[in-house]
Order: sequence, then structure tokens, then C-alpha cells
Amino acid sequence: MKILKKTSGDRVCIGAGVRRCRRNENSRKLRQRGKRAASLILSMLLLCTAALTGCSGAGGGGSTGAESGEKAITVAINSETGTMDPAGSIALTYLAYSVSALDELLTFDENGEIEYRAAESYEVNEDSTVWTFHLREDALWSDGTPVTSADFLNTITRALDPVSGSGYANYLFPIENAEAIYNGEAEMDTLGVETPDDHTLTFRLAEPCVYFLDLLRLPVYTPSCERYADSPDSGWDTDPETSLANGPFCLTEYVPDQYFVLEKNENYWDKDRIHLERITYRFFDDTQSMANAYQAGEVDVATSLPSTVMELYDGQDNLLVTDLIATRYIYFNLNVEPLDDVRVREAVNLAVNREELCQIVGTDTEPTYNLIAKYMKDKETGEYFVDGTEQPFEENVERARELLAEAGYPNGEGFPTLTYSYPTLEMDSDTAQVIQEQLKENLNINIELNAQELQSNYSSRYAGNFDMIRMNWTADFADPYTYLSMLLSNSTYNCSGIRDAEYDALVEQSSSESDPAKRAELMHQAEQLAVGEQFYIMPLYAMKSVNLVNPKITGIRQIPASGALEYRYADIG
Amino acid sequence: MLRYTLKRILTGILALFVLACVTFFLVRLMPGSPFQTGSVSEQVVEAVEREYGLDRPLPEQFMTYMGNLLRGDLGVSYEDPGVKVTDIIGRTWRITASLGVPALILAILAGTFFGILRAVSRRRIVRETISAVGMILAGIPGFAVAILLLLLFSVQLRLLPASGLLTPAHYILPVTSLAVYPAAVITRLTGNALEAEMEKDYVLFARAKGLGRKRIIFTHALKNAWRPVLNYIGPASAFLLTGSFVVESIFTIPGIGREFVNSITNRDYTLIMGLTVFMGAVVIGVNLVTDLLGAWLDPAVRRAYQEEAG
Repeated sequence: MKILKKTSGDRVCIGAGVRRCRRNENSRKLRQRGKRAASLILSMLLLCTAALTGCSGAGGGGSTGAESGEKAITVAINSETGTMDPAGSIALTYLAYSVSALDELLTFDENGEIEYRAAESYEVNEDSTVWTFHLREDALWSDGTPVTSADFLNTITRALDPVSGSGYANYLFPIENAEAIYNGEAEMDTLGVETPDDHTLTFRLAEPCVYFLDLLRLPVYTPSCERYADSPDSGWDTDPETSLANGPFCLTEYVPDQYFVLEKNENYWDKDRIHLERITYRFFDDTQSMANAYQAGEVDVATSLPSTVMELYDGQDNLLVTDLIATRYIYFNLNVEPLDDVRVREAVNLAVNREELCQIVGTDTEPTYNLIAKYMKDKETGEYFVDGTEQPFEENVERARELLAEAGYPNGEGFPTLTYSYPTLEMDSDTAQVIQEQLKENLNINIELNAQELQSNYSSRYAGNFDMIRMNWTADFADPYTYLSMLLSNSTYNCSGIRDAEYDALVEQSSSESDPAKRAELMHQAEQLAVGEQFYIMPLYAMKSVNLVNPKITGIRQIPASGALEYRYADIG
Repeated sequence: MLRYTLKRILTGILALFVLACVTFFLVRLMPGSPFQTGSVSEQVVEAVEREYGLDRPLPEQFMTYMGNLLRGDLGVSYEDPGVKVTDIIGRTWRITASLGVPALILAILAGTFFGILRAVSRRRIVRETISAVGMILAGIPGFAVAILLLLLFSVQLRLLPASGLLTPAHYILPVTSLAVYPAAVITRLTGNALEAEMEKDYVLFARAKGLGRKRIIFTHALKNAWRPVLNYIGPASAFLLTGSFVVESIFTIPGIGREFVNSITNRDYTLIMGLTVFMGAVVIGVNLVTDLLGAWLDPAVRRAYQEEAG
């Protein structure tokens, strides 16, 4: 195996490597003096390197486990962001860590069946307001101490302090008084969470919430050991001594900016199902570097790669293309003329050719006409949820021109120039140019492009400072509510001024409807109203994730809720 | 000489202070907040901003920051709460320096070696080849060199690792990428200067006296030819020690250059400030040292200062 040669026995072959490299550079014609100089340079270089790095060597991912016969894999993940504390401001690092290291109460498998993890059973009362979970009595933290209901409560109470910076605290709001506590209007002891004993956890909800079980995979419902997990700022989460796991793997090393290592948790209650001994996650700044590292044999798995990789690896068994449960769409600012006119919003929606758009943007995109992610499944039917009814609208340039004329802008005359703000990511820049071109050609209206740095783009969106702005939403949990809630009048993500009482009522009704078929119908109605009648947003495309996976690894699963890859049951060979 | 040195140090400190002030206000002019991310609500952003005192009036924030700065306290990172900025600088700079120092040494040694060869080789082909290759290498931008090396040695030949700094082998490509440009410049400088020196009377005299060629080059001519190189090494080492963002991001190296760019995208105010002040200090310090060294090495300059002082 080519890779094996390169990666095994790093220290032995370095000298040879440097020498070979130096030899190329110094040209063959060097006489003896040249050689002496070269060896001097070489030894000084190695000396300096060793002195400055304190001989850090060894480390996590020099050789990928899958190639060295050991049951270990190296996974490339996006650069380090956010904490690993479930109650803190989490981002990509936590998401990678938690799927291997933390057990939620329960989750759903790909068939929509419940898979019990930290809990072994649950009960719910008639009107879905009191949920009681019975924790597994044999569940242990990675240091061998029992996992208790207080550990779950620990995350919840800490996340309800706004200073924690948790972006998921609002998913605790179905719980009685949680929102009031978060806003400082009630005391923590009024919270509707009870821990009658170490292995019982009860949630009292303010209102019925039929999708409550889907929320349980979110960080704020995940346990954090109450003996150590005190604050997102204290550093407990990256210290292997205090960063305990209740899942199949636990943290053994964390090197900022470079990598972290998870090893099999020998105290895990279900450890017989776990085959890997170690998972090393290495941080990468950009996806091209990840693809290079995969090609150089330095990592076994690289996810969310650019779509060009798809063409490069076409037909090879390394390539794994998965569905992302995400929608990319555009918000129209309803406070800006003429976007307050539903005819204008409809015209713009109908005039865009999404097939053509996706062909240009990349093979990893597919047109969508819905807010709810195209690939989100309905747990009852096992089909894609959006396929349960008709498409909200169909593209039609003729009709779009008529609508624009009705709104007072025949052939685009007198139509003001609108600005489209988007982050400077390649995909979004391409999208912006295509839309600009199509709207000019089909409706004769001008769109000015405003490329912003990602952080500035978020800022414009929160401030409502835009005409049209790009938005992307990846599902937090496996229920269409994660999408529908975005457009509610009181949603923090509703930044475009949507205030629709009828829509709010439909969504609210769906949250307490316990008959799945009736509930699906209500949600379809709500989406039809927002997307197909009021055209509050402009759906663009759904995305696929392009991944490279070493073919020797088996048993990698896809998490149904988010579409992300999960390695806990993976094996080699 | 002493007065000159003191004057230079004081100007350096003043420059650093101005740099800190300008950066402080520029950073806050950027749109966006350090705590705004895709998934955090406005209430959270406000609460956390209050916690960090970012809701206070700007002059007040400025005074607090400058006060802390004077005490050597650069604060904590906003993006990575609980981590001190000084710790981040210490960690990332060590990594950058572990690339920059070997790259500098490599550039000096290789540059001097090829420079001498170019100036004194009796074979025309050697002289012409070194000139041509040096010209080309000085003209290729750093990122292109890095990508070419990466594609050739990691992706195609699979000889060397492509990312990170996990083993000494990981250092070879980034150090080479960093060293190519300064090495080419030093080759040219040494070559040109040495060529000129070799034409001078004292060399002719030494030759007439029957001194060996090697002895003339190494003990006499090279010492004089090296002065322009020294002038170049100052800025070059400042560049290598403050980290090349391009090389660091191509090889996924967690150095100070990459940290700097990330801190700006994250709007991590304290980290941006800390890194700017630190890099400013490095640049000013290195230039100061080379200036003083140059002045001290050049008898004419040295004499001028001595007269001025006396």
C-alpha cells in the first residue's frame, strides 16, 4: 500500500525525505563542499524545528489508523469553532464530538423507530404535556460513576442563563417557565423539570408539544456531568480529566487548532457493539485542504467537500454522497417597497429558473420549491415530507411578467433596483450572479449584488438591513417544525417582517395535534400559505454533502435528523 | 550611539501605541459582533455583550483596554471564552516561529551559497542557470510555490504529508515554500554585491600578493558584500516571524498568521488587538535590531554617530 510506506515509521523516513528534497534543490553538480553545506543546513533545520516545537512529534494523525491495522480512524472536520459544552455556544466541534461521545435520552433510527440510549423507557400523559424518562441504571460516565438525572438538569439550568451563549436555549421554551427564567422573570426553582430520583427525569410542558421527542437530540437536552461541568468558559470541556462522556467514546487528548482524540469508553453500557478503539478528529480550514489530506492518505474520512470532488472521484468507492437536510433560500424584506406587494414576490419567485441555477452552481444542489428541507422524511410514512402534497408553486415566466405588470411595473418599467446581500462563499456568489442575470432577462429588473463577509451578512440579517438576503437552514431536529418555526411572528430568525396570524395559528395548532396524519396536513397547509400563496421567501435549492470515506471502513451511518455521518458503530475491514 | 538607540526605541514604542489606538477603533467600525453567529438569537448576543462590557460607551472601553494593555493584560478571547489572548499568541507564535526560523536559516545559507557560486563560478552554465532559476523563483508568488510543492510531493508522489505539523516530516514543505522567495533574493543580492567587490582594487591587490581565491572571497570580499543582505534580512525575518497566512492555510498549520485572519472573521476584538500589537512589536523590534546592527557594522555610519554623540 502506497500510503502505508509513507506514513509508517515517520521518524525513520524523514531524513531520507529531507535529503531527497535538498538534493533536488541543490542540483546534482555540487561538489563535496556543497554536500557538506547541505548536510549542515539539514542538521540545523532539524535542530531548530525540534527545539522550537519541543519535539512534539507523535500526536494524533500522523498515520491513519485504518491503514495501520489498528481499529482507529482519522476524520477531517471543519476548523475549530465553539465549545464542547452542550450548554454553551456550540458549533461544528461540538457536533462532531457529541455524535461519538454523548448519549442523548433517545433518538430515532433511519426507519423512524425509537432507539433508546441514556433512557430505557418513557411515559407521556394524555395531552402530551408531562413526559417522564426512566434512565438506564447501568449507564456510567467514562470515569465509572453513574449518569444521573441531575446531570441532564445541569445542562438545562446552565443553558437557561443567557450569558452561557447557548443558541439552543429557545428549544427549552416548551418547558414550563423556561422562557420566563431565561428572560430573568422567574426563578430557577419554578422550572418544569423534576428529578424525583437519580434515574427519573420528568418534563412538564407549558403547552402540548407532539414533537418533543425529536428535540431530545439537541445539545441542551444532553447531559453534562454536574461534578465538573460548571461553565462554558472554565475549560472543563477540553480537559480529558473533566470532560466526561456517557457515550461510546471519550476525550483523551485535545490540542487546540490541531486535533482531538476520542478513545473507546470502557465503561459504556453498550460497549460490545462498539468496534473502533480510537477516532481522531483533525481540524481543517478549508475543504480543499481536506480533500488534499484525504488524497495524501492523512485522513480516512473527509466530509462536506466541494462539488468538484464529486466529478473527480466519480464511480470510485471512496465517494459517498449523502443528502443534507437543509434548504437555501432568500428572505424578502417585507418593509421595503415593492417587496411588500405579494404580486412582486410571486413574480420574482416564478421568474427564476432553478434547474438552470443548479446546473451552474454545482452537481451537489437540487432545485427546491419548499421551505421544509427536500430530504426531510416523514417518520410515519418513510417518504420525503414535502412529497406528501403538491409543490407549492411552479415556475412560469409568462405569469411572472403579468404579475409584475399588475403590480404596476409592466416590462419592469419603474421597478426600483433591489440589493441582494449574500456571504462571499463560492456557492452563494455563483447563485447571486445567476439570479441577477435571470431576473434581468425574464422580468427586466435590476438586482444589485452585495457580497458580504459571513459575519457581516449575519449582522445585516439580524438588523433587518437588506432588500433580499440569502439564508440557509439546516434542520436541528427531525421534524418540519424546525423549518416552520422560522417564519413565526415571534421567531428570532424571522428578520424580514413576516406577521401572519393565520400562519401562526396553523403552526401552533400543528404542535398540539397528536394524530400524525392530521398534523402533517396542518403543516402542509402552513407551508402552502407561506411559500405558495404569500411567497414570503424564495426557495432555491437543497444540497447534497460530498464525502470521501476510506472504503475499508464499514458501518458508518447517517443521522436521520441532520444528515450528518455517525461513526459510533463503524468498523474496519 | 546610545542616544540614537534610545531615540529609536522611543519612536518604536510611540509607533506601537499609535498602532494600538488606530486598530482599536478600526476593529469596532467593522460591521458585526463577535457573538453573532448563524444560530444565536439577538437576546443572547445582547446578554453576552453586556457580560463583556461591549455595551459601554466606546471611550470607556478604550480607556479600560489601554489600561490593561499597559499592565500587559491582553484580555480573554471572545471566540474561545476562558482562553487568554497571551496564551493564544504564545501557542500560535511558537508554531509560526518553528517554521519561520528554519526557513530564514535555509534562505540565508542557500542564498549565500548560490550567490557566491553565481559570482565566482568559472563555468558560464552554472552562473547563467543560477541567475535564471533565481529570477523565476523570485517572481513566483509564495502561494503558487506552496500549492505546486503540495500537489507534487503530497498529492501526486505521496512522499510528504500535506497538512498539519504532527511530525518533523510535516515541516519540509511549508519551510521550503517559505524559504524560496527570500533565498532567491539573497542569491541575487549576494551575487551582485560579490561580483562588484571582486572587481575592486583591494581584491586585485590581494590577488597580486598571491592570496588564495577562497581566502579572498571568504575573508575579504564576502564581508563587504554581505551588507545589503543584512539590510534585507531585517524585513524578511519580520515577515517570516509574523506568519504567512497563505502558507499556513495551504498546509493547515495553526500558526499566528492563520489565527490573525480567523480572529478578524470572528470579530474577536481582543484577539485582533493582541495579535496586532504583538506583530507590530515584532516588526518594530526586528527592524530596530537590524538597523542598529547595520549601523554598528558599517564603519562610516558608526563614525558618524560617534561624532554626532561626541
